[in-house]
Amino acid sequence: MVKMKIVLIAILMICSQSILAQTKTVNGTVKDNSGETLPGVSILIKGTQKGTETDFDGQFTLNSVEPTDELVITYIGKTSQSILVGAQTSLNIVLQESAEGLDEVVIVAYGKQSRKTVTGAISTVDAKEISELPVTNAEQALQGRAAGLTVVNNGSPGSSPQVRIRGLSTFGSNSPLYVIDGVIVGNLSGISPADIENVSILKDASTTALYGARGSNGVVLVTTKSGKSGKGKLNFSVYTGAQTFTNRYDVMNTVQYLQFASSINVFPNRPLSLFQNDTDWQDEIFQTGLIKDFKLDYSKGTENSTQFFSAEYLKQEGTIINTGFERYSFRANSSYNTGKFKFGQTMSVAISNSRGEQSGGGRTLITHAIKSVPFLPVYNPNNNGGFQGPSNAGDGQDAENPVRIQTHPEFGNKNLGIIGSLYGEYDLMEGLKFRTQVGLDYYNGRNSTFIASFSDDPSNTHAQDFASYSAGASFGQALVFTNSLKYIKTFAEKHNVEFLALAEQTENKSSGFGGSARNLVTDELQQFGPVNQSIGSGNSKTTRQGYLGQLNYNYDTKYIFSASVRRDASSRFGSNNRWGTFPSASLGWVISEEGFFGEDSRINNLKLRSSYGITGNDAIGDYRYSATLTGGFEYPIGDNNGAGVTENGGSNPDLKWEEIAMLNIGLDVGIDNNKFTASLEYFKNRSDDLLVQLPTALSSGSNAGNITANIGSIETKGFEAMLGYNDTEGDFTWSANFNIGSSDNEVLVLGVDEIPRNAMKDGAGNITNIQVGESIDHFYGLVSDGIYQNQAEVDAVFTANPAQTTVQPGDIRYKDINGDGDINSDDRIVLANPLPDFTYGLNLSANYKNFDASLFITGVEGVDVYNTNKYDLEGGAGRAFNGSTVLLNSWTPGNVTTTVPRFGGAQQNHSISDRYIEDGSYTRLKNISIGYTVPSKFFEGYLTKFRIYASGQNLITITDYTGLDPELTSGVDYGRYPQPKSFLFGVQISL
Amino acid sequence: MKKYKIIFLLLTGVFAINSCNENDLELTDPNQITPETYFANEAQVQAAVNAAYANLQTVGLYGRLIWYMFDNMSQENEDNPQMEPDKRTFKEFTFNSTNGEIRDFWDTCFRGINKANFVIGSAAIIDAIPENELSSTNRQKFYGEARFLRAQYYFMLVNRFGNVPLHNGDFSQPEGKPISPKADVINLIIEDLEFASANLLSKGVEDQGRATKGAAQALLGKVLLYENRHAEALISFNKMSGYDLEVDFYDNFKEETEHGIESVWEVQYDLTLGTGNKWGGAVVGSGQNHATFRGQDYGNLNWFNCYPSDDLFDSYEAGDNRVNGTMYFVGDTYNNGNNTMEAANFVAESDEKPRAWKKYQNYYKQTDEVQESGINAKVIRYADVLLMMAECANEVTSQSVAVGLINRVRERAGFGPNSLPTTLSKAQVFEAVVQERKVELAGEQVRFDDLIRWGRAATFLAGTGYQDGIHRLWPIPDQEISSNPNVTSADQNPGY
Repeated sequence: MVKMKIVLIAILMICSQSILAQTKTVNGTVKDNSGETLPGVSILIKGTQKGTETDFDGQFTLNSVEPTDELVITYIGKTSQSILVGAQTSLNIVLQESAEGLDEVVIVAYGKQSRKTVTGAISTVDAKEISELPVTNAEQALQGRAAGLTVVNNGSPGSSPQVRIRGLSTFGSNSPLYVIDGVIVGNLSGISPADIENVSILKDASTTALYGARGSNGVVLVTTKSGKSGKGKLNFSVYTGAQTFTNRYDVMNTVQYLQFASSINVFPNRPLSLFQNDTDWQDEIFQTGLIKDFKLDYSKGTENSTQFFSAEYLKQEGTIINTGFERYSFRANSSYNTGKFKFGQTMSVAISNSRGEQSGGGRTLITHAIKSVPFLPVYNPNNNGGFQGPSNAGDGQDAENPVRIQTHPEFGNKNLGIIGSLYGEYDLMEGLKFRTQVGLDYYNGRNSTFIASFSDDPSNTHAQDFASYSAGASFGQALVFTNSLKYIKTFAEKHNVEFLALAEQTENKSSGFGGSARNLVTDELQQFGPVNQSIGSGNSKTTRQGYLGQLNYNYDTKYIFSASVRRDASSRFGSNNRWGTFPSASLGWVISEEGFFGEDSRINNLKLRSSYGITGNDAIGDYRYSATLTGGFEYPIGDNNGAGVTENGGSNPDLKWEEIAMLNIGLDVGIDNNKFTASLEYFKNRSDDLLVQLPTALSSGSNAGNITANIGSIETKGFEAMLGYNDTEGDFTWSANFNIGSSDNEVLVLGVDEIPRNAMKDGAGNITNIQVGESIDHFYGLVSDGIYQNQAEVDAVFTANPAQTTVQPGDIRYKDINGDGDINSDDRIVLANPLPDFTYGLNLSANYKNFDASLFITGVEGVDVYNTNKYDLEGGAGRAFNGSTVLLNSWTPGNVTTTVPRFGGAQQNHSISDRYIEDGSYTRLKNISIGYTVPSKFFEGYLTKFRIYASGQNLITITDYTGLDPELTSGVDYGRYPQPKSFLFGVQISL
Repeated sequence: MKKYKIIFLLLTGVFAINSCNENDLELTDPNQITPETYFANEAQVQAAVNAAYANLQTVGLYGRLIWYMFDNMSQENEDNPQMEPDKRTFKEFTFNSTNGEIRDFWDTCFRGINKANFVIGSAAIIDAIPENELSSTNRQKFYGEARFLRAQYYFMLVNRFGNVPLHNGDFSQPEGKPISPKADVINLIIEDLEFASANLLSKGVEDQGRATKGAAQALLGKVLLYENRHAEALISFNKMSGYDLEVDFYDNFKEETEHGIESVWEVQYDLTLGTGNKWGGAVVGSGQNHATFRGQDYGNLNWFNCYPSDDLFDSYEAGDNRVNGTMYFVGDTYNNGNNTMEAANFVAESDEKPRAWKKYQNYYKQTDEVQESGINAKVIRYADVLLMMAECANEVTSQSVAVGLINRVRERAGFGPNSLPTTLSKAQVFEAVVQERKVELAGEQVRFDDLIRWGRAATFLAGTGYQDGIHRLWPIPDQEISSNPNVTSADQNPGY
């Protein structure tokens, strides 16, 4: 027995004994297809545990090699190669990028696995793909990279995008579980994307059930970089660029607005000189933002230890004025090996300050910008605060000056985050390893907003005659303790067994406090003033315990079986239902190993796999099962605040987990030595016991207003396909990777008739609905049918209600769906589905000598969008706001061939209807980049790498959507912060 | 063997570290008080009673929406173009069962009822509090306040919805209750108010803001009047003592003169106690929301969403000084006499309006409503009581007694002590009550209910969109039907 030397390379674990023989020494260099040397590449003699790793320069030396030996060269993210040694003593090896490469090592829950033996549904994204985009948050970089993963970005700097794996499986949070180096965290915003080595997206039960009660939304497993073998290597990179947003809604200018205003008998009572202004409010809120990023990292490794240090500074200005994000991040990862005992740690610290979009009256800046009348100037030095806004009447008083909303307050959101882990491993005996790990996710945030007194107009329509200051702080800490035993053994050369027993305990704590107050006397003090003081605080805690047993078995990597069972308990549930059991099992059959295809078949890999299991979801609030009292119902008694307390309602002691049963069937194909690869997946998930916040009867008057119960069921199913192709011809190498995924859901059981969500502005009801037989959060409303052009057309619809007088010619005509001769809420139907039919991504990359180029396209197809901006633009509020130029074509008794309703029409014009639903499908050129690597010879050894590149993001978007940006969460456009186009230039240097 | 012992120890260790304490999973909410330990002393009972008042303050009721809804339906308001469409539905009677304001009204009333029932339904625990912690007088007073408030909320509900779910002592029941006949609800309201009349403290003894004996007697009289039980109503009204009319009509609508001699039952607002949560939800009633928006919404120097209608203005007789306590006109002074209303102050979207609301505006002392008013809402004042008494007396006592009561109200309006002759017929007295209530109580959310109970809505509201078979009641909100398995579309009020 030779002791395992490089225990972390999982491929070793399925090898059996080695046979040694003294023959010759082979050395060589390993490079990637861009010519860059690769450190840390594993070189093994096939069928043995004998091997080595490349050093920092990509060099390796291997003694005692026989000519008949076959060397297996593996590296994460690259296609493995096998080379018969023969007469060679010096090898130059080029590893190709793997497209879901079959021999890659895949990070899985609590370990690693060879892609060969994977029976679940896992997509991987590597460091290169993540670093390609100038993102502040690694989740943003995952968009379009993995089939079945949907990412919806928000243009606001520093914001976290919405991430979904395989669509929606619950009415609650569908956010996946994020695990960084074994530490369960809330999202990936706390780490620098540049520190990420590899991301695994776990999608089916056999991979996610290992996380038991928290795995049902899928898992994003992140591994951060570690030191590579060899002498120290210093990398420095910088990029800088500009971000802009150029789309605009077509709104009326002053001349057009005044024409429109007079047509509706609105005559702003303003001095004539004011009408010489022509403010483009959209131009006033958008700007070109600069982004810059500096990164430095140092990596070093010896036989017994590795170190990796990094630091990054990022500063991004938003494309909306006075928004931005700034972050300093640091990382130190290291590992040490003292023979039987190994230990290591990861630690990152990030300090950030983000300044997001401010809202005025709960409306977005874009809403204010398109509704603000163009004759008002942005600034007026005569007004307190220096801004100009509308007056009481005539100018439309709830369109506030968006520039004042965004730039008058002084605000910030500062955050300190620490994520780290410490682990130790001990080899108890051959194949048996004990591991213990403690992980920490800590944050401390502080936000404050100071608004000096202001008055946008002498009418004081938008005014604050005091300075207000509000501030809050939040603190959170999650601790994860994990102990495990892992046993790996090969019996009789072909029976490969791996067994894992694991226990885990987590404790999450959070607390916060905040306050606000006014100062009536001065604007000078950014402190809590003496009046209207209000304070609050709260804290919560969640504890969880879990036990996991897992067995992986394969026979000669031909027949693969794995099974796991996890028992989990959570403090979020009452003692009646505190424990849950989450089993899974999977089978794989590597058909290509059977010899069916013959030695010279072009099919080098064909694997059929299937998995089934049950995972859970406990993502509801804390303490939901216990009855509580609630306070704060103050009422003035005499001259004092009378404290008020009541019973809160909403408790349910029988709450338990949501359970999602997942079936996955997959097929992997590799042709021509994996030059062409394909993976196909089909999944069908059934969610049961979904936590539905059943609205309590409105008339029960419960303060909670709802009670959480395990009621709902959903079926979600879909397919995914990943196709990869790579080729090399001389100095030219290229690859193409395409992924596509779909996910459909149908609500089977809901417990209530419907759950309306996503409120329309101005109290016009809810836009989306959940109901049995339909997809979650579909659009629900009336079906419009043009405009009533004359009274006869009105009378023809309201046959059962001829006395109605409110709907008049010029109002929107809706279809009388139920045919009762009246138009009311009973005529609402399912209008459209905001979930895409499918999402896709296409990545093309090529290298020629020292040039590299890549092109990355993402898109969604078959998605519908509810554009509330269109409602405002087309005079939906029925008030004298600015709007689209189509308002000039509004219905009047003299204009009866229009599609634009009469101004200020009947209430029913404000109904939720298909009038504002648009096709939101889009294809976006997410990234295009071109780079040049200066040959290292040029620097005579001072630099080992010098690459310059230019790239552009979101340069082209092909869509029929008339709004600013079709990329929307839940398909409703309230005037969302759009994503910028950006142009970047960068340099990467290594020495 | 030693090796295996170590492995065994470690194996047990793997699990022992974690499983040591199942109690770690038993957590209680550190942010909340638990019901088991509550109701141990007077302050705790009082706080539970206070909470039941808080819903009166909400935006769904006197904080904002009730003004619009009732003044628009009664056509006392003329709307300016900037009035939001959802508010205008009440002017035009185009609301339906999805209407958010109606849902808020329903919701906040039932939340108030639930909070009252938390006190009433916890009687077994409250009764067990020892006398040295809670005197029996105060215990009964607290029950009286809770039952008064329950009656107030239910009275608002039955007037607008007719039959409604009835909760008597149960609280936070998630499954909801079926619709009960209006008569059953009225019976509970009357029982509650009889209890409250007997157990509440008198005005002057009780803290300002709490329900008093007089308030309970007045509300009981009002409920009985609405039921056409005139004799019983009159008995209840006649029990009231210590009330009279203010000398100056306008003192009823100013902040400094709240809780005056005429005040019977007010909803409290007090800016000095905090207004930070004034927009914080239309129905919840938590936080510092001690401000009402009426001044900002109605005021011609602010949003000016509406003004007193021509019909209302035309109803004032010449020489009625109440018109100047109710409305502003060009040339009126404001801001303690420092400013004068100019024509430009009456312009709404370029159109000059003839008048603006003055009742409940803060302009008498300031130039701007600053989006919050601390003026209490007078739910019942003694002039209203006198006119209700006149209505009852006309039915069961005599026309001359009724005329005397009306003349008390008219005298303050500047008409001399005997402006109406005692020789009026019963029908003429009734007409006088109708007229007097319209001008005395304009913009005080009584006229629409008056029109309905007098059967005059169809005539008076003709041409507005009002249909008598439908709009005398509001629709039960869709959300009630979807959230309450015991209420179905079949329970919906006619025409919705």
